[in-house]
This record gives sequence, C-alpha cells and structure tokens, in this order.
Amino acid sequence: MTDAAQSSTQSSGQADFREGMDYLETRRQRLVNLWLPLGIIVLVLLFPFYWMALTSIKPDVELIDLETTSPLWTWNPTFKHIRILLFETAYPTWLWNTMMVAVAATTLSMIASVGAAYAIVRIKYRGASWIGGSIFLAYLVPPSILFIPLATIITKFGLFDSPMALILTYPTILIPFSTWLLMGYFKTIPFELEECALIDGATRWQILTKIILPLAVPGLISAFIFGFTLCWNEFIYALTFISNINNKTVPVAIVTNFTDGDIYRWGSIMAGALIGSMPLVILYAFFVEHYVAAMSGAVKE
Amino acid sequence: MTESSPTAATSETRFSWERLRTNRNWLGFLFMIPAAGFLIVFLAYPLGLGVWMSFTDTRIGRAGQWIGLENYIWLWDDGVFWLSVFNTLLYTIVASTIKFGIGLYLALLLNRKMPFKAIIRAVILIPFIVPTVLSAVAFWWIFDTQFSILTWMMQRVGFIPEDFYVNWLGDATMARGSVIFANIWRGVPFVAITLLAGLQTVPVSLYEAAVIDGATRWQLFRHITYPLLTPIIAVVMTFSVLFTFTDFQLIWVLTRGGPFNTTHLMATLSYQRAILGGYLGEGAAIATAMIPFLLAAIMFSWFGLQRRKWQHGEGDD
Repeated sequence: MTDAAQSSTQSSGQADFREGMDYLETRRQRLVNLWLPLGIIVLVLLFPFYWMALTSIKPDVELIDLETTSPLWTWNPTFKHIRILLFETAYPTWLWNTMMVAVAATTLSMIASVGAAYAIVRIKYRGASWIGGSIFLAYLVPPSILFIPLATIITKFGLFDSPMALILTYPTILIPFSTWLLMGYFKTIPFELEECALIDGATRWQILTKIILPLAVPGLISAFIFGFTLCWNEFIYALTFISNINNKTVPVAIVTNFTDGDIYRWGSIMAGALIGSMPLVILYAFFVEHYVAAMSGAVKE
Repeated sequence: MTESSPTAATSETRFSWERLRTNRNWLGFLFMIPAAGFLIVFLAYPLGLGVWMSFTDTRIGRAGQWIGLENYIWLWDDGVFWLSVFNTLLYTIVASTIKFGIGLYLALLLNRKMPFKAIIRAVILIPFIVPTVLSAVAFWWIFDTQFSILTWMMQRVGFIPEDFYVNWLGDATMARGSVIFANIWRGVPFVAITLLAGLQTVPVSLYEAAVIDGATRWQLFRHITYPLLTPIIAVVMTFSVLFTFTDFQLIWVLTRGGPFNTTHLMATLSYQRAILGGYLGEGAAIATAMIPFLLAAIMFSWFGLQRRKWQHGEGDD
C-alpha cells in the first residue's frame, strides 16, 4: 500500500504509456489494466483449439453426456477417433494432396514472384512502377468473385477435378502478395553490389542467383511459408474445382465428407481439424518472426 | 552491326541476343513472363470473363447467350439477393468495427513492456495461422444445438435455465451473431499484430516530449499514436474489410446461408446459385455486383496512403 501511495504521488500529472514509463504503475493497476484483459482475450482466442483437442480424445459417451462428468476435462482419453480418421478414412490421402498442392503452388509462385519483383525493382523497365501498382491491385481481387469464371476456364482446359487445377490457380493468390513482399526486400539490397557485378561482366541471371537471392533469404522464407499457409487455407477454389474424393484437400474433405449428421462423428471431425492444423502450427512455431515480418511487411509498404 | 563480323548470319543472331541481354525493356519483359502469365490467364481473364458471363444465361455444361441486363433485372426483384446484400453489409460493418476496436486495444496492450511478450504475441496469432475452415469446424461444434459447451457454461453460471438450449445457428439473430463472433475471433489477431508493427515504428521520443509537457494518456493516444498510425490503420482495415466482405468459408461451414437465408452473404449466394444451382450467369452477376463495393474499399485505402505521403513528405521509403 505504501508502495502504491508512493508511486501515485510520483506519477501525478504524468502518464505511463510506453515501455520505460511502466514502472510508475502499481502492481494492482497493472493486473487490472494489462494482465486481466490480455488474459481474457488470450483465453477466448485459444479456447476453440482446446475444445478441438479435447473433443478429439474424448470417449463417445462423454461427448454427448454433459451431466455426469464435467465436459471441460476427460479422465479417459482415447485414440479411437484419431485411429478411425487415419486408418478408416482417406484422411492420409487428403493430407498428402494438401501438402503436394501447397508445395507445388508455392514453389511456382516463388519462381514467378522473384522474377517479377527483380524486374520491377532492379531492371526498372519502362512502365515498371505502373506494373508494380497493378500487382498490388491484383492482391485486392478476391477469389470469391473469380471462382465462377475460373471454373469454366478450368473445365475448358480439361483440368477439372485434377490437382493441377489448384496448383495453377493458387499462384494468382500468392504472386501479388509475394511479389509485393520481395520488392520490399530487394529494395534494401545495395545497388552498388549489382553495379560491380555488371562491370565484372556478370549477366542479369547471375546477379539474381548469386547476389540478390542469397541476400534476400529472409524475405524468401517469409514469402514461402506465408504462401504455403495461404494455400493450406484455401477453400473456395478447392471446393469448386475438385469433386473426386481422392483429390480433395483437407479443408474441403472435412466439410464435405464427414457431415452425415452422425453425432459420433464429432470426435473424428475434431481430430481431422486438429491434425490438419498441426503442420501449419509446427511451421509457425519455427518461423514466428518470418510470419510477423510477412504480415506487417505486406501492409507497411 | 557496325563492327566487321565474319558472317552476316552470326552477327545477326548475336545482335538480337545482345539486345535481349542488355536492353532493359526486353530483360524486364523476360523476367516478368511467368508472373504475368499466371496473373493474365487466371486472374485478369477470369475477372473480365466473369463480368461478361453476368450478361449471359450460361449454365453448367451449356455455353451462354447474350441476354443483356436480364440477370441484373432478375436480381433487382429478388428478395433473397437484397437480403444477402444487407447481410453482407451488416456482417462487414459490425465485424470490422469490432475487430478494429479489439485489435487496436490488443495492439496497445502488447506494445507495453511485459515478460514473455514474444510468446504471448506468437500465441495470439495462432487463430490466424490455423486454416479458417478447420477453426470454423470447431466453432460449428461449439455452436451445436444440443451439446454446445457455451450453452453448458451459461447453464452452470445460471445465465439461462438448466433445461434451456440456445439455438446458436438455428435462429436468425443468434446465427448472425454467432457467425460474426467467429469472424471477429479469426480476424482480431491479424489486425492486432499488424497494428502492433505500426505502433513499434512510432518514435518513443515523441511520447517522452509530450509527457514532459504534461500530456495525459488520452492526449498521447489522440495526438501522437493515432495520427501516426492512421496510414497503417487505413491499409489494415482495407484488407480486413475486403476479406470480411468477400468471406465464404466461415458461412459455408457454419450455416450455409441459413436459417432462411438470414446469413447468406453475396459470396455464398453466388456459389449456391452458380455451382449448386447451375446458373453460372446469375451467380456471375451476383459476384460482379460485389465489385463496386470492393472498389469503394480500395479507394478508401488509396486515400489513406495519400495521406501518409502528405504526412511524411516526399522521399519516405
């Protein structure tokens, strides 16, 4: 209490806003102003995942019985749902499809974006800034207004119901974003490096592969994992272009192949959602800083 | 060509190859080919084709005839279409406003000095990383009519009677509230983390100077944080509004537009009419009707960016 009185006299007329001035706040104020709201928000943000994980290991009886035991915990964890999911459904195939489509589409987009970003920022051909602006506009075109005409184009190309349909259309979501991000990274690389190499007789291709790319590795990682996440996340194209059960991706399959109204399916659905999220969460855990850089980089420019 | 060369043919080929290697425009063109190819074939062309299809009576498996404005006239008299427009605007405005409020608040909290900051920030971003459909499925189970954990909690707290079951997704108002809640849940991390990145660029010296001059906490926010953050707020909110307006996944998983179309967004309605119903032309017309709204959002962003240039002067970045 004396502590509180002291600091309140000290801080009269002052505001404690930024780090460095926080010491003026008492412990109780800090609890109410900072930790309590933060705790509530984090709790709400994480609860669905807890519920997802808990449901996937709960025995069937407990899923539909909220009265005899508390539904917020289980003392009889079971791997039944996960076993059913992995061995009695096509889930491994869906996981493999998702992985393959995401890796292929992201790789394609990276190749295209590196070329485009390099050309716009460094070669500076006539109209480069104009093209850069239109790439940003392309970022703002949402898949929800493209899927109908794309479906007819995909059918015309004979790609309907094939993973190639997704591998070729996902780059349209990724290229604008990763080009924009890489442009920012390429701009930070000193121009002098490139000039030296040009004088020494290097070609543009050599400059790109030997100088620019090694220096832009953090940007490449950011763009790749963020693109990979977007691919894994994509739903409307996968839902529209794929109908064969063996070609589906995890998000589509979970929604279309598990919803037969059987109440006991919930365990497997939740297990499917959990396992489907895991690769991204693990990737995220290793590259948190790159994710944040990708997100804030894309809006800051 | 002026230099003497052994044969005319080799000099000719060497000339074009040289030109390709050194001419900026040619080189730029070469490097742009892959990206431009993708974006023209699978983005610009479908965008145009979609607008054209909205003026035809294309169906699945049948090429369309030009029918002018018929689709639009039909939609003009269609109550469900207008309901979906209303729903989309309601969904976007309510969800974006709340996302902005909570996101900014969370960003300000996270900008303070605290232990485990990096871990807390990483944890907060998880809802954004996990595929929307998969977290939406979790919400579907949370909003179950009979076995909802939320209902159970409310019953235990005494908020509702023991034998009362909340119809989360079956009642019009509740369903709207539930999908908006799920959307906010998913969008807050993005808004918070990007605004936090913006907050970290505000120079601490400004706050120090203002505090010495006796500014209050609110004045610090109002006259330093907010104006310096405006440009990034404009961009973040443009993206947020854009993604909310064109949302499809959440609605499709949770309600499929029901009950009685009260949660149908324009995107879900166009999917239902075009892909499930087979009326591609009509679906394309609904999708095309979204474009003016999207343009408005983009203009908003553009003016935000203009203001940034004006604030920072030229030569910034």
